Amino acid sequence: MSDSLMTITRVLSRTLVAASMLVSLLPIDVAAQAPVAPAPPPGPVARMPDGKPDLNGFFQSDHGGANWGLEPHKEAFTGGGRGVIIDPPDGKLPYQPWAREEKASRARPERGYDDPTAHCIVAGVPRSLWVPAPVHIFQTPDHVVFLHERMSWRTVYLNRKTHLPDTIRLWQGDSIGRWEGDTLVVETKNLNGKPWLNEVGDVISHTATIVERFTPVNANRIDYQVTVTDPSVYTRPWTAQIPINRQPGEMLEVACLEDNQDLKHLKEVRDEARAKAAAEGAK
Amino acid sequence: MTLKTCCVTAALILGIAAPAVVAHHSFSAEFDITKTVKVTGKVSSVRWSNPHAWIYIDVPGEDGKVVNWAFETATANALFRRGWRKDDLLPGTAVTAEGWLARNGTPTANTSAITLPDGRRLFAGSAPNEGTTR
Repeated sequence: MSDSLMTITRVLSRTLVAASMLVSLLPIDVAAQAPVAPAPPPGPVARMPDGKPDLNGFFQSDHGGANWGLEPHKEAFTGGGRGVIIDPPDGKLPYQPWAREEKASRARPERGYDDPTAHCIVAGVPRSLWVPAPVHIFQTPDHVVFLHERMSWRTVYLNRKTHLPDTIRLWQGDSIGRWEGDTLVVETKNLNGKPWLNEVGDVISHTATIVERFTPVNANRIDYQVTVTDPSVYTRPWTAQIPINRQPGEMLEVACLEDNQDLKHLKEVRDEARAKAAAEGAK
Repeated sequence: MTLKTCCVTAALILGIAAPAVVAHHSFSAEFDITKTVKVTGKVSSVRWSNPHAWIYIDVPGEDGKVVNWAFETATANALFRRGWRKDDLLPGTAVTAEGWLARNGTPTANTSAITLPDGRRLFAGSAPNEGTTR
């Protein structure tokens, strides 16, 4: 697909023939699914005027199905997952027993309603980088800002060395960053513990410290590693690794709450399970 | 059971298509991965809802009765990036839809692909190679 600009307006409509839906764009090559010539090799890492890597642009992670499981898993509807955990070496999340049980509970259909993203709330850190949606990175000498397609953002402050007071708790946490050579090292604290790590309910709490390392390796790819240290959930820190690749095109709007059909259904599933449990408890 | 028998049977049991919804969570709880379906019919409407869009297709059964099937897809943005355009699915467009059958017995499916009159086959669910290098 070429880099031409596309004018996008709302694509949501209850009637397909709404004339107000205007989409003008270049035709997509129908042969997109046919074999294409190999792309030329990517160029070197782009640089800002101060010599630091330039991470600006439109990307999507090669998430390996992480939004449906950080460990290797088979899942036909979403394509399964290769497993993204590189430490511990067995690729498994080092859960404390209570957290393992909580995760198992969250995987049940009646708990789908408890996933904050079902309510269109942010996916949080680091889940926003492995949901199946792109991200635009906007960088200045003092800030790196991740813009997520469900219309949320996360700011990494390069001009601050200490975190916000501990009493301030945020959905995206508080991220401060520094360059170590060509690697952007980001530490995030001040989490509110409310997000889930993915749709299957992997757990992160307000006691977590997250350290991310973004290392651009060429003009089109960032190697991403994230280490989660969460003493109330896990028995030790763990690290995941996912490539983040530059994409053609640009951000679109995802107005998650518009004509949202899933949320009421998830509530019905939850309420049905509760009614059933109450009826059985009353016997 | 052939697909057409399946469709006709469903039509006889249900009479009309129930408005189908699917969980954002737990596809496997709502759809049966072992039951693939393939229907051919005409688009009756498209609902660009969140977090999944729905394509409704009128499928004639062997008995001549038309069953309105509901095929769930990824979000509009994800479809757009896979080459879908809104004009591809105007009412009356003849399509073949493939997917996995809902467990609740209604004519509802989670879409794997839609084939358009010009022969393009567009994928509708999760793209396994999404996010890989371009």
